Amino acid sequence: MTPVPDLFLAMMKEEWRIHSTVFGGIWFGLFPCAIAVFAFIGSLALPFFADAVPYTTVALLALIFFLLAGVMVGSFGLMGREFMNRRFGQASLIAYASRSLPVSERRIFAAFLVKDTIYYILLYIFPFTVGFAAATPFISLDPGYILLAFVSLTLAFLIGLSAVCFLSTLYARSIGLLAGAVVALALAALPLGGAAIFPPYSFFLAPGIEPLALSLLFILVPAAISVLFVTADYPDRTKRFRNNLDPLADLLRPLGSEHFIAKDALDLLRSEGGAGKIVFSFLLPVGLIWVCLGILVRFTPGIDPLLMFAVLLGVISATIYNWLTEFDSFSSYTFLPVEVSQVIDGKLKSYALLSLLPVVLIVVVAAVSSGAGAVLPALATFIPVSAYTLAVTVYLTGLHPNVMLYHAGVFVRYVLATSPALLLIIFASIIDPRYAYGSLLLLLPAALLLGRGRRKWQAWDMPGY
Amino acid sequence: MFSLPMLIHPEALESMIAMHHMIEAEGLTKNYGNVTAVDRISLNVAEGELFGLLGPNGSGKTTMIRMLTGQVRPTSGSARVMGLDVVENPVRVREVVGIIPEQETPPSFLTAGEYLRFVARIRNLDGIDEQCDRWFDLLEFSDKRDVLCKDLSRGTRQKLMFAQAFLHEPRLVLIDEPLINLDPIMQRKVKDFLRGYTRDGGTVFLSTHILGIAEEICDRIGIIHNGRLLYTGPVDDLTGSGRHLESFFLDLVRGDAGA
Repeated sequence: MTPVPDLFLAMMKEEWRIHSTVFGGIWFGLFPCAIAVFAFIGSLALPFFADAVPYTTVALLALIFFLLAGVMVGSFGLMGREFMNRRFGQASLIAYASRSLPVSERRIFAAFLVKDTIYYILLYIFPFTVGFAAATPFISLDPGYILLAFVSLTLAFLIGLSAVCFLSTLYARSIGLLAGAVVALALAALPLGGAAIFPPYSFFLAPGIEPLALSLLFILVPAAISVLFVTADYPDRTKRFRNNLDPLADLLRPLGSEHFIAKDALDLLRSEGGAGKIVFSFLLPVGLIWVCLGILVRFTPGIDPLLMFAVLLGVISATIYNWLTEFDSFSSYTFLPVEVSQVIDGKLKSYALLSLLPVVLIVVVAAVSSGAGAVLPALATFIPVSAYTLAVTVYLTGLHPNVMLYHAGVFVRYVLATSPALLLIIFASIIDPRYAYGSLLLLLPAALLLGRGRRKWQAWDMPGY
Repeated sequence: MFSLPMLIHPEALESMIAMHHMIEAEGLTKNYGNVTAVDRISLNVAEGELFGLLGPNGSGKTTMIRMLTGQVRPTSGSARVMGLDVVENPVRVREVVGIIPEQETPPSFLTAGEYLRFVARIRNLDGIDEQCDRWFDLLEFSDKRDVLCKDLSRGTRQKLMFAQAFLHEPRLVLIDEPLINLDPIMQRKVKDFLRGYTRDGGTVFLSTHILGIAEEICDRIGIIHNGRLLYTGPVDDLTGSGRHLESFFLDLVRGDAGA
């Protein structure tokens, strides 16, 4: 029997080789450095915004960010098999090999969880903490916060990772079970106070055994359940489908690019995870953000939670583009009479259609939380932010956002292009919510970037093998 | 082999031959960084010819096909395919020719039937039901029509790539490793089909490292090694002189490697 440590080491090597193959060893090696630099610069800027946004609020935002990172890492690990196949042909990962290895699914999954924990702590959290630590002498912060930040960020990340593994284990067995668990958890969370729902934040505010134990409970129990009840979602028989492409494409004909949009829709519906992808990669993070914003408002009264939600929803919505490109590659079209710009146009139209989901979401949230009058400002914030973030993504990554954003150089440019604009909108809306309408100005650079992005990737020469 | 009529002036003859060249490459070169994948290759392929580009793995065959079909831009040199400049009209070239790539597989989440319809829509082809049926029947995979491409065997995927390349009834098809993953029965069928296709006026440019294919079905071959074209000539010239293609190929490639 292969021991878990051996599996773990093999998986660590595998993860490194995937990333270094896709992004190039040096550029991927620089990715943690880029995180450290941004954390350093961001930490240096803290005193300038201390009056408007207290340190505790910044800490909460950072913890939420790492919680979401955990959710994203877990989602990709569990649902990324087709992406790997498109990128690496029929190459498989150890995590998907329980049928060909003499190792049980549980052992593989346990090793997989440990690997993700260690690997992503080294990739994300450690460099972030190093950047923060380097800045503490310049902002007169107690060095004790360094360890506190590292531990609480790790706890937040692991809660996200563990939660998505737990929920996906339930989903693999029954959608009803998943829905029931979500409702039960929501009902159980309602009577609790804000910080109790999110113990890493309680731990950061007041380090002690109780929030630490509660955090570990939130990590270990869902992780243990998902390991014990894990099931490999391999279809036992070949799936068959009647021709859905033609009816869909005929329906979409008025939009143009109809066959590309229809293909995107079928990719999304038939790929592993299917509707689960929308739950784990979109609705779950968005729900978490809404809950956390509710907490944030208690500490920072100046913040308009709806506008903040609209901004964050706009950023997260841009990940819809990642879904649309996940199972596609331009190399699938190079032998056909198709140009890169045609494929990008198809993706943008698919994106516009799928964006109806967040639009409906924000309309409902705005109407329910703040009344019908809040719908227009929320939409006026959401739509430009979503369009701008998408345009930056398309310009920088073309049809490969899932790959290119881990390239240190591209990642730095992405952060530099998006964060100043988004922070400006957030801070401006804190001063006066009406300033959020200023985000409409983002539509202009968005249009310019999309135009330039199409031309840039049109001229792109496919690399040799 | 055809013999040339002696009454025609050589210049006029050259012009006539040029008109019938489906592929004309002149000094075609492709560099990837410091690596020269294809090095100043010039060759012509006539209409109705079945031309085989032979070479070991990594010799530049795939890059050559990609340049001839406008999938990658040459570093230098030029090429015309069916009279179209591959750099100026890459999409138009891919409109008129059929291409079967070696590595690419059809999209995972379309069924085999849907994929052919997807390609037909890209190519603006109407009423392709009969065409699709014909290919499913010819390559004997009608029972896989409604199966997702990701669930198809490699051989069936290759059949599907074959069908998509011929869907628009092109006059020229470029094939990178035509028989890869096919069983012996299907290999025989495909070889017969390609011979019939060229007899009917179609042109085939195929690349392979399997010498038996070239020996059996090609009219003319080119041998490429380290990106350089070492030889072009009719297969009959070799077999007629009593030489085996394999020994000729090995001598040539080993000689080049030792040079």
